[in-house]
Amino acid sequence: MSDRVDDHPGSGGPSSDHDLEAIRAARGVAGPVQRKGIGPVAWFDVRRRGAGHLAFSLNRITGLGLVFYLYLHLAVLSMLLGGASSWSSFLRVATLPAFLGLDVLLIFGLLVHGLNGLRVALVGSGYAPDRQKALYWSLMVFGGILLLGAAIHIVGSA
Amino acid sequence: MEVPRAAGREEAAAGSRSTTWRWTALSGVALLVLVTVHMLANHLVVEQVGGLRTYRQVLEYIGNPVIFVIESLFLIVVTAHAMLGLRSVLLDFGLSPATKHVLDRGLVALGVITVAYGVVLIGVLASRA
Amino acid sequence: MTVAETANAQDRNASEDDLAQRHLRVFRFKRGDDAARYDSFDVPAGEPETVLEALRWIQLHRDPSLALRHSCLHASCGTCGLRVNGRETLACVTRLDDLFGTITVEPLANLPVVNDLVVDMQPFVERFPSTHPIVRDSEFLPQANPPDGVDAYERFEDCIECGICLSACPVAATDDTYVGPAALAYAQRLLEEPRGVDREAILAWADGDNAAWRCHAAFECTEACPSNVRPAQRIMALRRELRAR
Repeated sequence: MSDRVDDHPGSGGPSSDHDLEAIRAARGVAGPVQRKGIGPVAWFDVRRRGAGHLAFSLNRITGLGLVFYLYLHLAVLSMLLGGASSWSSFLRVATLPAFLGLDVLLIFGLLVHGLNGLRVALVGSGYAPDRQKALYWSLMVFGGILLLGAAIHIVGSA
Repeated sequence: MEVPRAAGREEAAAGSRSTTWRWTALSGVALLVLVTVHMLANHLVVEQVGGLRTYRQVLEYIGNPVIFVIESLFLIVVTAHAMLGLRSVLLDFGLSPATKHVLDRGLVALGVITVAYGVVLIGVLASRA
Repeated sequence: MTVAETANAQDRNASEDDLAQRHLRVFRFKRGDDAARYDSFDVPAGEPETVLEALRWIQLHRDPSLALRHSCLHASCGTCGLRVNGRETLACVTRLDDLFGTITVEPLANLPVVNDLVVDMQPFVERFPSTHPIVRDSEFLPQANPPDGVDAYERFEDCIECGICLSACPVAATDDTYVGPAALAYAQRLLEEPRGVDREAILAWADGDNAAWRCHAAFECTEACPSNVRPAQRIMALRRELRAR
């Protein structure tokens, strides 16, 4: 934005130094920056966005979820240090249907993150960027088939 | 409200930024194999509900030296990928160079502690086998 | 007819078609305001055909203080970039008939608002690498007759610097230091057709902290681009060059 102010006599411009200063001050103030959401909400708002944005959002959610799961898993494995009875108590809870459902959710997260990550690695290295949508959907379909198999296996074992 | 200046001007690239991206991609591809091996060898072969091993079965599994090495490798790679991924997410908040420096050190420390704890944990369990 | 007579004639036509109207919800912000707001306007259906025409109709008939930018009226200059119902687009070629229900019009995201629908493009321009020629030879029509020795002209410069890609980018949504798709696509074009540009300087710039490796392959910039620049593909091509470096 230019700071130039036309203050020639008779031009209808500012009539005093105070006016000039006020105008310069007003021009220097930047307005609000419009965002698509508050902070990281913009990452996850996929309304009216393409498949790539959906992939990005899912990758981020599943990635953060898997980081949480890494530490949860280490904490759970630490129960083994308490011996067989401690571990058996955990197993009694972990084999409940609700928890088995969480296991299916974990597999979903692994598949979405892993297969989309493969797309990101390939496309991000410059391979087949024009086919990235087809690559994404075909990998997700493949992942869906694997998820179905895993879900049947997990639920079927109950 | 001041909008932070973007890095459009020349900046001395101190080392290639492609390195972290490359390691994230490589560790991710390695994990596709390691997670599959972990899931199949640890959970799929077991008859128990949900593929969850009993205490004795866990010790028997982790007591195998080959399995111990593979699971340790899995832990190292997954922790590295997790730390790199966390870094990538946090960088998207537009951090200052000083904050990035602290973040890098913090994530390295967290990663080292995680791997150390995990390897010691499975080492103790393996010794009980 | 004078401008006022034309406006009155248009008003009479508008009142005859009161039942056929389009409802617009337009972002408003003037410097000094505590907060932005949305003003609602009804424009006659069928008469303004595009979003830009509707906004100009509002300026002429309802609120002359509504500020917006436009120039060429045919998707060539990139000046009228806006968000319509949450999606980035050029207002001059966005038909009202293609939109349903209430039409929400907002300025581009990730750039400071100057006035209503006008954003400050300075932060957008500043993201571009400074080691690039300001003026380049322009592109030619495909059907133009090339001179002897030249098989064909190839268009290198599709980018109209509208800022739409930056508005659509999910990384730019939270990080104002990320150089963004337009600047990176521009850097890749310079490598593709260097014409005396310092390639090493461009590659060093692209390899920086806030450049090519910050893209997360959402491809939203390519989805939103109205000018076939395909910034995401160009960023990936740039990365290929960086890996080979």
